[in-house]
Amino acid sequence: MSRNTLEKVLYDLSTSGANKKKFAEDPDKFLSRYQLSEDERALIRDYKVRDLADLGVNTMLTWGFWLQAGKSNRDYLKIMKREEA
Amino acid sequence: MARIVGGFVAPHNPVMYFNPQGATQEQSDACYGAYAAMADRIKELEADAAIVIGCDHYILFGTECLPPYVISTGEIEGPVDQLPGLKRKPLLSHGALGAHIAAEGSRTGFDWTVGRALNVDHSVAVPHHLMLEPTGKDIPIVAVMLACGVDPYLPMARAWALGEHIADAVASFPSDERIVVIGSGGISHHVGDERMGEVNPAFDQKVLDIVTRGDKDAMLALTDEEILRDGGNGAMEIRTFACAMAATRAAGGRVVGYEPVEGWVTGMGFAELEVAA
Repeated sequence: MSRNTLEKVLYDLSTSGANKKKFAEDPDKFLSRYQLSEDERALIRDYKVRDLADLGVNTMLTWGFWLQAGKSNRDYLKIMKREEA
Repeated sequence: MARIVGGFVAPHNPVMYFNPQGATQEQSDACYGAYAAMADRIKELEADAAIVIGCDHYILFGTECLPPYVISTGEIEGPVDQLPGLKRKPLLSHGALGAHIAAEGSRTGFDWTVGRALNVDHSVAVPHHLMLEPTGKDIPIVAVMLACGVDPYLPMARAWALGEHIADAVASFPSDERIVVIGSGGISHHVGDERMGEVNPAFDQKVLDIVTRGDKDAMLALTDEEILRDGGNGAMEIRTFACAMAATRAAGGRVVGYEPVEGWVTGMGFAELEVAA
């Protein structure tokens, strides 16, 4: 696992509208640009923010990643607290 | 020569903008009142320029390059993370002062990363909006960004040393300008983790006591472990307070306002710093 590349992906998604659009259109194609394992790609593709944070990914990025997808802050907190979202 | 005539510490909370209803009316009035009081003081101090010490939130600098401390030496624009009522725009820059500080740093052991056309985030734009713009004067700024939100974090002692260096550099800037320094950051707050929304008034009070006592030893004794445990990842921003304290020679100060606003996920602390003669 590479925290660095995971953070790079989330940073790229949080700072570029073009990247967000590409990710929304075809997540696997977008993620193929990065040095990620299949497990890592799945964590991002499936918005596994708790698992990403457990790997040491900065939570400023996981929070922004979640919100940029139009998901609710309430659900984010439930997931981060390991409750059912 | 230029001189630092005032100092302040204040939050830069973006939640105030996108969720104003998160605070009670009393809390909101108290916080905005504190910003207004500081703006009045900046006007009374007849500030010609401001050095705004902010911090990145993984918005400006990515994994490709994470600078420990950055200073503006040319144009400034922001916030890149636009907020309701706070749109991205050019901010009047004091490039000559920033360039002077950077040059003095190179000479004395502080290798600044410089932003010749620097984008800033809300950590600079919010105090600009709420503390400088209300003065009615288009006060030029130098933007300083410290590594507080993304590791590797700037060590607290280095933030302090940087503040002392800023004070020395301002004192050798060939002008008669009056400069104020603003340390921009929230006290207790958790950003994006499972404790988001927790505020710790005891920790906030401890920090404000340290700031208003001008207590260098106590500030440097705050370990990252303690800050993260008691204040949260967002509280790492108090490095900006340390830098501002040192830039005013840690002469103490007074609390202008404090509100623990859970709905804004932050202990909102405001203080004015005295400047040592």
